[in-house]
Amino acid sequence: MKQPTFLFRHHKLAVMLTIWLNGCAIANANEHPDAHKLYNDNCASCHGFDHGGYLAPALNANSLKGRSPTVLRTVIMTGSFDTLMPPFYGRLSDDEIRSLVNHLQTTAKQPNPAWTITDMKASLKIYVQDESKLAKQPTYSLASIDDLIGVAARGKYGRGSGSKAVFINSKTHQKVGEIPTVTAAHIIDYNPVNPRWAYIKTDTAEIYKVDLYTMQVLRSIKTGFNGPGLGVSRDGKYLMAGSFVPHNAVILNADTLEPLKTFELEGIDPDGKMVSSDSGMVIGTPFADVFAIALENAGQVWVVDLKDGFPVTKITDVGRHLHDAFLTHKGRKLMIAAYDDSKVIAIDLQDRKIIKKLDAGCVPHVGGGSAIVVDGRTLGFGTNFGDCDKTVVSVWDLDKMEVVKQIPVSGGTESPAAHANAPYVAVDIISKDRRARTVQLIDKKTLSVVKTLDVGGHAYFPEYSADGKFLYISAGYNGDEVAVYDSVSLKKIAAIPMESPAGIFSHGRVKYMTRGLSPDEMEQ
Amino acid sequence: MRLAYFFGFIAVFFTMNIEAANLYAGQERAASVCAHCHGIREPAKGAPFPSLSGRNADYLKLALKQYRDKTRQSLLMNLIANSLTDAQINDVAGYYSQLKR
Repeated sequence: MKQPTFLFRHHKLAVMLTIWLNGCAIANANEHPDAHKLYNDNCASCHGFDHGGYLAPALNANSLKGRSPTVLRTVIMTGSFDTLMPPFYGRLSDDEIRSLVNHLQTTAKQPNPAWTITDMKASLKIYVQDESKLAKQPTYSLASIDDLIGVAARGKYGRGSGSKAVFINSKTHQKVGEIPTVTAAHIIDYNPVNPRWAYIKTDTAEIYKVDLYTMQVLRSIKTGFNGPGLGVSRDGKYLMAGSFVPHNAVILNADTLEPLKTFELEGIDPDGKMVSSDSGMVIGTPFADVFAIALENAGQVWVVDLKDGFPVTKITDVGRHLHDAFLTHKGRKLMIAAYDDSKVIAIDLQDRKIIKKLDAGCVPHVGGGSAIVVDGRTLGFGTNFGDCDKTVVSVWDLDKMEVVKQIPVSGGTESPAAHANAPYVAVDIISKDRRARTVQLIDKKTLSVVKTLDVGGHAYFPEYSADGKFLYISAGYNGDEVAVYDSVSLKKIAAIPMESPAGIFSHGRVKYMTRGLSPDEMEQ
Repeated sequence: MRLAYFFGFIAVFFTMNIEAANLYAGQERAASVCAHCHGIREPAKGAPFPSLSGRNADYLKLALKQYRDKTRQSLLMNLIANSLTDAQINDVAGYYSQLKR
């Protein structure tokens, strides 16, 4: 999942502040000796430890060429409105901000830094030695583990005490636990076999193994420098994590978090060039003992068999700039988004072949994806990041693999939510103006927008509770709460305050594989 | 006399109208500008900015007007408040004052 990129909307303020700064200060050209450390400690979790960009734009000599140092100082000081970029005024001194700007404008994008299996092993921390002594049941009131909803609260600065995973009982809408994550939590995944285990991955590629019954971290490991990719195998025995920095992936023991094998992500891209590649989505499937991982830049999907040596089958020429994906047909088919081709590509994980490339609006970001069964047809829903002339949500018939409809919505969208028991498919509008406050609801039968919810803040990542009765939505970096709606009446019934909430992950996902499908269909 | 009452009534009516904050507009501005530093309910943990929620509306209005008119000095606030109208100040102050902390 990618967060919206950064824009400086309030030009007037920037210009005025620039004039003021120009008037009263003379830049100190000497680099602060700790500028590199300042960058790593404050910027790199979003902008990339290699200065190459991650959730936020690349900051290096090339990308910032010709940019006024004063304007850059202003942006660091005030933050950038309507984005995740926070104000560093008061957190960093003026001298530190100056030296940072100088550092950014004189530092090239760094080569892929090494983070080997040895580094990973050395980073493994064990917080609870004997897990057999943990309480046998949840230490708080909870009817079913599937009622748990985890929220990745980024924290305003993407690090610090505001950064945590917050767990909520989706029947009572009460917080039942918090796991501090040091840097922004990005993905929460659940073990499909052992219901008490959850895994949290941060933007700085740490993975925490969490005990949901006692709400504490059992173990942690650092798998890289940046990157959200994380999947759990169907037998609950393995995790696979993929990184943006460096370009590698690793399979871990899901119980101990010990790294078992690393993979260098590189290959020939659809244009015939050999490239080193970021990791996109990593996914385990109920269909087989495999992981699928997207190589974003190489445009390949690798299928890794969970047996001796973890052999890899490479599916090439999938698409340009692959990102996220969802599963259908009991996990046999994988629908993966290619940003630069504006296609979603259906892959058969049994035959390990491309089935078809489907039109998908512009810059498809499918988030966790959604699939529903309507009148005997399985329909998939794909959101689109891009702010094109025509903003649409794509609907595909996943049996025939063809486009059914491109539903006009009011802006770019990031993640669709659906549930077998809820009447609407919810999509978050992320266009950077008043629309960002809203979530639009698509009627499952008519496949058209029937309602717009004004959630406030920067509303994104809708998610239904496991019973489908409630719709949870993050009010994002300007809302500082998760809002809860009745999924039929669409009345707001609760708000759970937290700092900069982003992704929402229901434990119910384990049962229905892809949001919107019924667990019954999985059992057929 | 009657006319005086009438004008008095009109005057009160208009004053009330001016005073009545548009909470929706206030919320929108608060979310898109103020909350970036001050948060909605509270600022980010570890941030050097004061909380605004539940503060007295008159105090918030006074402070914003002083920042705007530069009778109170702050590098950032003087610039942010610089272009605010009385109505916008009223909306934002009204919004933050009615929030529970």
